[in-house]
Parts: sequence; C-alpha cells; structure tokens
Amino acid sequence: MSAVPKFGRFGSGREVKRIEDAALVRGQGRFVDDVSDAQQLHLVFLRSPWAHARIRAIDPKDALALPGVVAIVTGKEMVDAGLGTFPGASNLKRAGDQPGAAPPYYPLAVDAARFVGQGVAAIVAQTRAQAMAARDAIVVDYEDLPAVVDSRAAVAAGAPLVWPAATNNIAAEMRHGDAARVDAAFKSAAHVVALELMNQRLAPVPMEPRGILATIELGAEPAQDKLTLRMSSQMPSGARESLADGILKIPRERLRVVVGDVGGGFGMKTGIYPEDAVVAYAALKLRRTLKWTAERSDEFLGAVHGRDLFSRASLALDKDGKVLALRTHSLANVGAYGGVVGAMIQMLIGPWVSTSVYDIPLIDEHIQAVLTHTTPTGPYRGAGRPENIYIIERLMDAAARKTGIDAAELRRRNLVRPAQMPYKNAMGQVYDSGNFPLMLEQGLKLADYAGFDKRLAESKARGKLRGRGLVTFLEWTSGNAFEERVTVDVSADGFIEIYTATQAMGQGIATSYAQLAVDVFDVPIERVRIIQGDTNRGRGFGSAGSRSLFTAGSTLQLASRQAIDKARELAAEELEVSGADLEYSGAEFRIAGTDRTIGLFELAAKQDARVIHVDTTSSVAGPSWPNGCHVCEVEVDPATGATQVVSYMSLNDVGRVVSPTIVRGQLDGGAVQGIGQALCEQIVYDSASGQLLTGTFMDYAMPRASIIGTFTTRTDESSPCKTNPLGAKGVGELGTIGATPATAIAVVDALARAGAEERALKMQMPFTPEKVWRALNGK
Amino acid sequence: MTTVRLTVNGAAVSRDVENRTLLVELLRNHLALTGTHVGCDTSQCGCCTVLVDGAPAKSCTMLAVQADGATVTTVEGLARGETMHPIQQAFVDCHGLQCGFCTPGMMMATAGLLAKNMRPSDAEIVHALAGNICRCTGYVNIVAAVRQAAGAMAAETKGGNA
Repeated sequence: MSAVPKFGRFGSGREVKRIEDAALVRGQGRFVDDVSDAQQLHLVFLRSPWAHARIRAIDPKDALALPGVVAIVTGKEMVDAGLGTFPGASNLKRAGDQPGAAPPYYPLAVDAARFVGQGVAAIVAQTRAQAMAARDAIVVDYEDLPAVVDSRAAVAAGAPLVWPAATNNIAAEMRHGDAARVDAAFKSAAHVVALELMNQRLAPVPMEPRGILATIELGAEPAQDKLTLRMSSQMPSGARESLADGILKIPRERLRVVVGDVGGGFGMKTGIYPEDAVVAYAALKLRRTLKWTAERSDEFLGAVHGRDLFSRASLALDKDGKVLALRTHSLANVGAYGGVVGAMIQMLIGPWVSTSVYDIPLIDEHIQAVLTHTTPTGPYRGAGRPENIYIIERLMDAAARKTGIDAAELRRRNLVRPAQMPYKNAMGQVYDSGNFPLMLEQGLKLADYAGFDKRLAESKARGKLRGRGLVTFLEWTSGNAFEERVTVDVSADGFIEIYTATQAMGQGIATSYAQLAVDVFDVPIERVRIIQGDTNRGRGFGSAGSRSLFTAGSTLQLASRQAIDKARELAAEELEVSGADLEYSGAEFRIAGTDRTIGLFELAAKQDARVIHVDTTSSVAGPSWPNGCHVCEVEVDPATGATQVVSYMSLNDVGRVVSPTIVRGQLDGGAVQGIGQALCEQIVYDSASGQLLTGTFMDYAMPRASIIGTFTTRTDESSPCKTNPLGAKGVGELGTIGATPATAIAVVDALARAGAEERALKMQMPFTPEKVWRALNGK
Repeated sequence: MTTVRLTVNGAAVSRDVENRTLLVELLRNHLALTGTHVGCDTSQCGCCTVLVDGAPAKSCTMLAVQADGATVTTVEGLARGETMHPIQQAFVDCHGLQCGFCTPGMMMATAGLLAKNMRPSDAEIVHALAGNICRCTGYVNIVAAVRQAAGAMAAETKGGNA
C-alpha cells in the first residue's frame, strides 16, 4: 500500500535541476588533471613525426643526462618485459574465409611507426617541462617509408602496404545479404539511384583531454605492488581488465581504476589506449606515482578518430517509389592497426541499421576494413549508425528527386508499419516498438513542412538561398551489453547510496538515476547519492552505446523496490503488524489509518552496519531502438557559400522519458555534433606526406555558438520500449545521427533550388563555404 | 625566476615562478585553483578563461608574470559565500552544462560580457562566446543561461538602486 508521494516533483518525468551541477559550477569538479600527488613524477610521449617509418634505433643517452629525467621507456623494453599487444584484426575474417590481417599493435612502436603521432617512447621526469625538454633530446633513427592515408588509394594496386599479409591493405571484411537477389531486383527496377558518399573522418574532441594519475602502493616486493589508475574513462572495469589481463599480465587484484569527473567521452574514452599501458608499466617498473596529461595535439594524433567510411551506394525502387533493394560497397579506413572495435563498428554494427525505418527486404552490403598509415579509428557518437543513416537518407533524398515523388511521401510509402512490429530487418535485427508513420506525420506538422514556400520566399527577399532536409530514422542502442548490477544502501545518516558501474561523462545519468530512486523511495533528490567510477566497488560494462539509463536504470528500479520491500518487512516486524497494513510515503511507513509510523532511515539504523543493503543484477531483454523525424532548414549565402542552420526541428521517440531536461540536452548537444560533421569538421591527412593537417583547433573546425539556429526539440512517448521495465530507449547518440543527414540534405536542397542539383549531389561533407560556392558557380 | 604578486579572488597572493610559467599553471598548480581548465594548446577553446582586471583573458596565453599587479577572478571567485553568483545559478537553472569542463570558462566569458553589456542580444551573446568551445550542450542552453543571468543581474542592479 502506498500513500500519496510527498516528493513526486523530483521523480521521473519531471524537470529537475541536476545534482551534478553545484560542484561543477563552483569549479569543484574533479577532472583527471585536477588531482595530483605530491610525490608524482611526470610522463610525456615522444610521437613519430613520420606516417610510416622503420625504427632503426632509439638513443636516449642525451635525454637521460638532462636535469630531472628519471627514465625513458621504449617499445622493445616492454616486449622484453613480456607485455601484450592490443587485439587486432587477426580475430576477424577476410574474403575466402581467410583470417584478418594487421600489424601487431604494441603500446610503443617497436619495429616501425605506422601513423604520424604513434608513440615511440615515453619520458619520465620530475617536472613536465623537464620531460618535454628530454623528449627533444632523444635521437631516433628513422628510415622513412612510403605511406598511404586514403582508403581508396590504399586498396589500389601498387599502394604502399601497411602490413605485408594484408593484401591490398584489406585487414578484414564482411558481406551481408543476398547479392544475387539484389542484382535481380536492380535489373527489374523502375528506378535506380546511385551515390558516392563519404562519411569523413572526424575527431570526437571531448573538451577534457585524456590523462592518468598512476598511484603506486608499495608491497613487500615489486610483484606485490598495487596500482591505482585515475583515468578519464567511460569504462573503468573494462580498462582495468583489459590492461591487467591482456597487456600488463598481472592479477586483476593488483590494479584498481578510479574515475572522477569526465569532461566528455563520446565513445573516445572507451577501451584502452597505448598510453594507458605505458603509464601503468612505467609506474610499476619505477615503483613511483606518475602523472600523464594529454595535450590537445596528443588527442588529435593519438586518440581514436571516428567515421571514415567511403561508400558506393545504390537503391532500387519500383514505379511507385517502393524500395526493392539496397546495395552498398564501403571502404572503412580503420587506421594503421585494424583494431577489432573500429572494424566491427563499420562491418557489423552500422549495417544493423542500414535499412533504418524502411521496409526494405533485400540488401547486399560489402564492407572492407582498410589499413592506412593513420590514427586508429574507434567509437565516436553513433559509431556506425550515423554512417549508415547518412547513406540511406541521402539515397532516399536522391530517389525523391529522381522519381519526382515528394520526400515525405516517398518515406511514407516505405516506412515499416506498427502492424509489422516486432519487425525483423534484412540484417536479422528485431525492432520491438516504434510508430514511424506517426513520427513522420507529427514531425511534418511540428516543422510546418507545408509552410516552407513562404519561408523560402522570405529568405530569397533577403538574398539568401533556403533548403530543407527531412529525415526519418532509427538507431540501435545498448553496446550489446544488457546486464547491469546495482547496489543500494539505505543508511542511518539519512542518505540512499546507489552504486553502478556505468559512468557519468556529462550525460546526466546521476540525476536520471536519482529521479528513478525518488520514484520508489519518495525522498528529496538531495538524499540520493549516486556512486560511480571505482572498480573496487564492482564491475560492469560502463557507459557506451546510449545504454546506461535503460540497463542500469532498470536494475536500479528493481533494486530500489527490493530495498523498500526489505524495509517494509523490517517495519512490519518493528510495529508488529503485517506488511500489507503499512503505507509508505516520504521515507516513512505508517500503519494505515493510524498515526503510528517508523522512518526508513530509523529502520536502517537498527540493522547491522546501520544500512539496509540490496545487491541486484538484472538484464534487459534486448537493445532499444530510438527513432525520430528531423527537419533542418538552412540558409545559404550565395556570395560566400556560407551555410547557416536557421531551424532544427526534431521529434524523437526515446520511449519513456525519465528526465526531460536531460533528454533535450542530449538531443540538442548531439545535433550540433551532427551539424558539425555536415558543415565544418574533418580530419585531413596530406596524401603526399601522410602528415596530419588538422592537428589543432586552428585547422579542425569545431562548431561554435554561432552555428545554432532555433531548435524545436520534442519527444513522443507513445511507443514505450517493450524490452526493458522502464520502457525507455537510449537517447545519447540519436541527435547526432539525425542531424548530419538532415543538415546535409538541406544544403543539397538549397543548391538544387538554385539550379545546381547535379553538382550538389556530388558534394562530399563537410559542406564548407568553398565547396558550396564552387557547386553554385560550377567552378 | 620572478616573484609574482597579484590579487586572486580578492586575496593577495605572492609566488616565485619560472618566467615561462603560464597564468593557468600558476592558478592550477601553485594556487590549487583547479576550476580553470586546459582544453587545448593553441588558445582556441576558452576553457582557461578568467577575468584579468575585469576583462576575459585566456590564462593559457598569458604568462603569470604578465599578471603581476593585476586582479584576477576565477570561477572559484564567482560565488558570494554559499550563495551562487547569478551566472552560476543561471547555468544550473537552464541546464547550461553537461560535463562541466568548458563551463568555468564559459561563465567567466559571460561575466566579462555582462560587465560591459547588461542587456546583450542573442547575437551579442554568441559573439562574446566565440572564443569558447563546448562539445556537449550544443550551446542552446548556454545562450539561454546567459540571457537569464543578464536578466537576473539587471534586476539586482535595479533593486539596488530602488
């Protein structure tokens, strides 16, 4: 029995102020570089200036003689010490059932450096400045070799090989679907559209660079030393286990990972990096506490890049615009080492959503993971799904233009219908819920799609071109990790402490979890403490793939209810009644119809250790499939080619909304990252030298406040998720996935209306002013 | 080495520093004021923004010795004791921060703007924040926070004059 909640205004579905914010706005965040140890030494990395070079010798003599220098670590030393390598493409496959092929990825280069920025040595000194000075004094004898940085160039005959066993620089590949039936469909099709599309390489750029504080706890002997790594990581348990098991080859008990505040992750701070292994190794070897803080250039050079998928894509349609088949052949530039995660994102995860919200029965998708002398690619907000939604939406837009069928109508004719749910797509993925036709209709209304011509004329009167991009799409979330463990401690001091191994990085999950806890415990939100970021407290997958709320949130709800049930039994005992006679509200049990009460925290005080403790693990039944209808309108200045996003309307199905403010923040923040890809961001390597040309914010164009227009961001909760008890769908990446095609298509539309459709359809992102101007002017 | 004397958040400080020490290094490493952050190495990102003699300055692009004799305000100096500064309150109220890394710099740039222009237009807000990059929020709520802060501070001033 429950009485009326007292603190419902803090519960789920309500707008609340974030519990994270008070410390952050006071400058009291604990980001990784904010924490220091008086005994710390400083570590910096020497990075290869060559895209491809044999390392003949490394001479640290002069460097070691400089003041304050303690040690110089090389790759060979780490191999000799028995350290492992990072898992690579040999676990994957190439055509003809061949195993994948890629060079071994050592934490520091041993025989060769294979991308500009690859770590070649680490320098440890008393101060960071001394380490940097010593870095300049290390003499490395490089034999520079030919390099290739572009995926198309890499697979061409005669290209420099990154790894001899990887013929044509193919590290791995996958092909999905039915090529023969797709060929037949294309032959019989009334309409075929074909596009070459580049999802260009991007840098994730969380504003906080990576860093590590490695604290040594000395044992009786080195083999008993314990190491704590304070990291800026989305996956503390994964980092600990991968480092201990695979690289350092030490028992896990000797390694702890702690995470404080993380200044953005976006996928870039998942997994482990070479730098993590080197810092840990050096700390253990020297038996000293070490600090490494990445500079921004370390991040552009050495942190994973995202995207970099070149596709030849085509769509076959019947005379009514019904899509018969989708065919793609893509080259995924995975960088120099063919890491499993980067390759699988493009070869498998992205294709899971390639048919998106459309009922497309036939696919033939061939994705080849290509090695080049560039930084390894990895997860970046969306990880495979933005690439594939970009492809299908550009194709649908091209199909609308070719067939003369209105863009909205073409989509309407192809959407999966509610009656088809649960729907199994051509990749075998099952969508549990979603009303895509409803989202389209409501989205069009919200965007005043019908009123565009008026706005077009108004822009024209001001000398501007105007275009719009409509996208309907879905995405896959969960990171393929469905289980979570949550501990709940109701303590005598009046707080409810909840632990989960998911990881905050700005996405507001602590507040969202607290709101779910308030739903059950009915306490003011300040009474809830969310603890994360300590592998001593428990292990778990961490935060990626927009999974945290619907996995950990589901377990948290269950664990909280179990805690109340436990407390109810204790209360019943104390008050000598049956549990059914008790009402609960506002942290208090009351015998119904009387004024006899006992408080929740009072009960806790009477228990062992003065807590009511619950430890629960549960799994959700599957991924969630958030989806949306987004409409972007842009103005283009024909004199300069500059594009301004004027309005961005999004209607989003994220299932049940737990925290409306946070959900909108994720959608808008995500959208601006997507707009950034469409209009200005790109990692560029010089093809002649392999040098990274966009290695700082001077050359890598980040969206700034001036990029935004009017955002109208709404959610539709009419299709709750059926595979988790919350009914929630992961929101973190959805905004990014929709915004890139919506913005790109809007620019194409603006140019098409100005008579430059053919050239516009050939433009590749980012649609910089120069490219737009050239397309408009045929130059 | 030089002895630098300046006022930080209202308190007189004096430190001996190597001449090449950046102002942000003085703040973070010598004064343990870690609220000011380093997000890049080329002065673009604005995470290091503080007020120097009332005007926003990128503390990664100033030497500590250049701040000798100056009055510096960092994010730690915004609050009035337990009470948040209207700018801080506005960022909280408007969900103007997500990870919080760029936020101190954003707020100090805002403080600099509002000290000169108490009723900025959206265009003026966006212009004043041109030197600050945020990767999380998409700026929408940051601009809303600046609007709210401007209103709150204008009301305070009015109230003070009443």
